[in-house]
Amino acid sequence: MARKSFFKRITLWRYLFLTACFITVIGNPFANYYWDVNFIQGWFQSIGIGNLWVVSPLEGLESILTAKFFYMPSLVGMVIPVTLAFLMGRVFCSWMCPVEFLSLLTDKVLGLIPKWGNSLKYRKDLVRFAKYTLWFALVAELMVTMVIGYPMFVWWSPPGLVGRETMFYVFYKHVTVEIFIVIFVLLLNLITRRMFCRYFCPLGAILALIGKRRQLVIEYDASKCVGCKICDKRCPMGISPSVGESQSVYCWNCAECVDVCPTSALNFVWRDRGFITLPKGSKQGSAV
Amino acid sequence: MEKERKTDRREFLKVTLGAFIGGALFSSCSLSDLKNPKTMVKSPIKTNVLRPPGAVPEEHFAQKCIRCGRCGEVCPYHCIKYFDVKTGGVFSGTPYVDVMEKPCYLCMKCVYVCPTGSLVPCAKEEVRMGVAVINRQICVTWQQDKTGLMCKTCFNVCPFSGVAIKIDHDFRPYIIEENCTGCGICAYSCIADTYPENNGKKAISIQPIKWKKIKQIKLEDIKKS
Repeated sequence: MARKSFFKRITLWRYLFLTACFITVIGNPFANYYWDVNFIQGWFQSIGIGNLWVVSPLEGLESILTAKFFYMPSLVGMVIPVTLAFLMGRVFCSWMCPVEFLSLLTDKVLGLIPKWGNSLKYRKDLVRFAKYTLWFALVAELMVTMVIGYPMFVWWSPPGLVGRETMFYVFYKHVTVEIFIVIFVLLLNLITRRMFCRYFCPLGAILALIGKRRQLVIEYDASKCVGCKICDKRCPMGISPSVGESQSVYCWNCAECVDVCPTSALNFVWRDRGFITLPKGSKQGSAV
Repeated sequence: MEKERKTDRREFLKVTLGAFIGGALFSSCSLSDLKNPKTMVKSPIKTNVLRPPGAVPEEHFAQKCIRCGRCGEVCPYHCIKYFDVKTGGVFSGTPYVDVMEKPCYLCMKCVYVCPTGSLVPCAKEEVRMGVAVINRQICVTWQQDKTGLMCKTCFNVCPFSGVAIKIDHDFRPYIIEENCTGCGICAYSCIADTYPENNGKKAISIQPIKWKKIKQIKLEDIKKS
């Protein structure tokens, strides 16, 4: 297998970027508490870098839905993530989310086990749901939020909880019971790779919905494919790029399949045709 | 591949049912962790436990706040704390100031970082976190016939001393409720609990107030007095 050279692998840059984001979120409470550096505040529910405000779209939407009140700074803060999702799809999930970092870390640690490390790292999915479950998660989340009248995802969202638990630990020297949600999500990964991200994450669902007609897609070149199916095995989202699903809504542009493809039949392209065109005869169930 | 396609609908039904049952089980499990299920939807704001400065009314606060924690990270005195799910229920993750542990020093940094307008930017004088109430049975100056002490601590530490706390002709402090910001510095530094007959009780406590009523007070009234 012609392996790509070290620095040309996109996943390497993804790991570096994930680590940088994770360190930013984790290191913030330490910087704030011990050195009084307030330049960056918050975590991925709302992060403020100097005067640049970023508000997570789902949390902002929930806040608007429950309070029935538009507040300009939160709307302006939602512009950057929404634009990013509109152009590139779920890149937040694969390139920034701290839960993805922790899942990746557990994957790498599992891969270190001798003998069957590699089979654990790229293990088979034990439980598979329909991919539509993602949309039901989003709708159920918004319905529960509006029925109860208080935003729900803001206090159990795993990417936010990573930052909040760190902040609790640094500031008040204790962690709350909500850390079990993060542990639960990471334990779900043992059943199916990225089970929560695939099926139950409302934030991922809303980002996928925004990025349905995204510009950055992974293009599948059928003429170069030799049918080794290694991309299907490596895909953490459980979609099959080898049958043309790489442009579907559920792809989160993590570039695992691009790097692992021995004949470079999969590549990142800026989409110019404007619409999702699946090859004829492929499984159509993925396009919503 | 072909086999999966056939069972898609059945799988989907199973998934939806499973997700609902699982969600119900999950939520019931987390509910049973609570000390008192009634606190799930009852606001944990009480005496001496107040919202940070500039907070919108309590009935809207937990709906607007997205629990991003920026107010607590920017607070230079680290006096903003957060409820967790055991103490707060649906209010978990919302900020509060426990004035008995650390009062608010009105640096007004937190109101400028709130992304959702839960904390509205305002001037120091317009802050209404609560209102200070002096218990005259405990205050050593009000009981000066018994104690023989004349303490002016709350008057001295108040950031609006002479406006929010005044002193009458017997040097006894009293609160002008319209001008009190409820920052809690007076309650924090009250020395009445060191007096042996008081059993460690502070003479001043900060009571949470309805913002709406106090907000109608004009700024000119504060400046006049």
